[in-house]
Amino acid sequence: MSPFGLFLISGLLFAIGLFGVIVRRNVISLFFSLELLLNSANVLLVGFSKLHGNPYGEIFVFFVLAVAAAEAAVGLAVVVALYRYRKSVNTEDFSFLRW
Amino acid sequence: MSEVFFYLFGLLSVAFAALAVGSKNLIRGGVALLGSFVSLGGLYFTVGAEFIGIVQVIVYGGAIIVLYLFALMTMDLKKMREEPIRLTSVAAGGALSLALLGILIYGAFAFFGSVKPAVSGAKTLALPLFYKFLLPFEVVSVLLLVATVGAVAVGRREE
Repeated sequence: MSPFGLFLISGLLFAIGLFGVIVRRNVISLFFSLELLLNSANVLLVGFSKLHGNPYGEIFVFFVLAVAAAEAAVGLAVVVALYRYRKSVNTEDFSFLRW
Repeated sequence: MSEVFFYLFGLLSVAFAALAVGSKNLIRGGVALLGSFVSLGGLYFTVGAEFIGIVQVIVYGGAIIVLYLFALMTMDLKKMREEPIRLTSVAAGGALSLALLGILIYGAFAFFGSVKPAVSGAKTLALPLFYKFLLPFEVVSVLLLVATVGAVAVGRREE
């Protein structure tokens, strides 16, 4: 099996995620897109690990997974706190965070 | 046989990802993302990364998506404003992501050879993880603890 399919899927997922990060204005949708970006990196790591027959790439996937879980927990806590403050999850309502 | 499933799961994951990013309804988007992650778990199975596939389904499908859906249920989805679709940002995002996709595909042509679908179960991954990568493993455990405490501290209701 050629490794091209894995690279193609990874690239497609990353492109979709990047499109979502740029276009969407909803924080939850932004988080969905971020998860897609992290997953595309995971697919690429598994692909190279299988291509070279080296398990270290798959071990790195665990670290990416743990960072993704931490990001989801902290990010959602921030979003829930901001929602309580502003009653909105739209990024345009959070522009007071900018200076 | 495994190639058929590889392309099936790949197609499913990309289609569900597009649905998750594009859907107006947030709950529907979350469930589409769950489908994408479970399909990616199946994809990992077809290339032989079985333990990663199981962990993908458990952690992403079982923990992260459920966390998002629970957080969504605390919000009033009916009162959310319709987000305007601005043509400039769609054009910029589309151009940027298509350019990046082109670069990635162009770079992927440099790698020939074939994927050996060697099955990597728990044992092949655990031995390097607990010997060679023991320090990063412990650091990640501290990171998870810090993230948990931080999430509770930030999300707490002030009285």
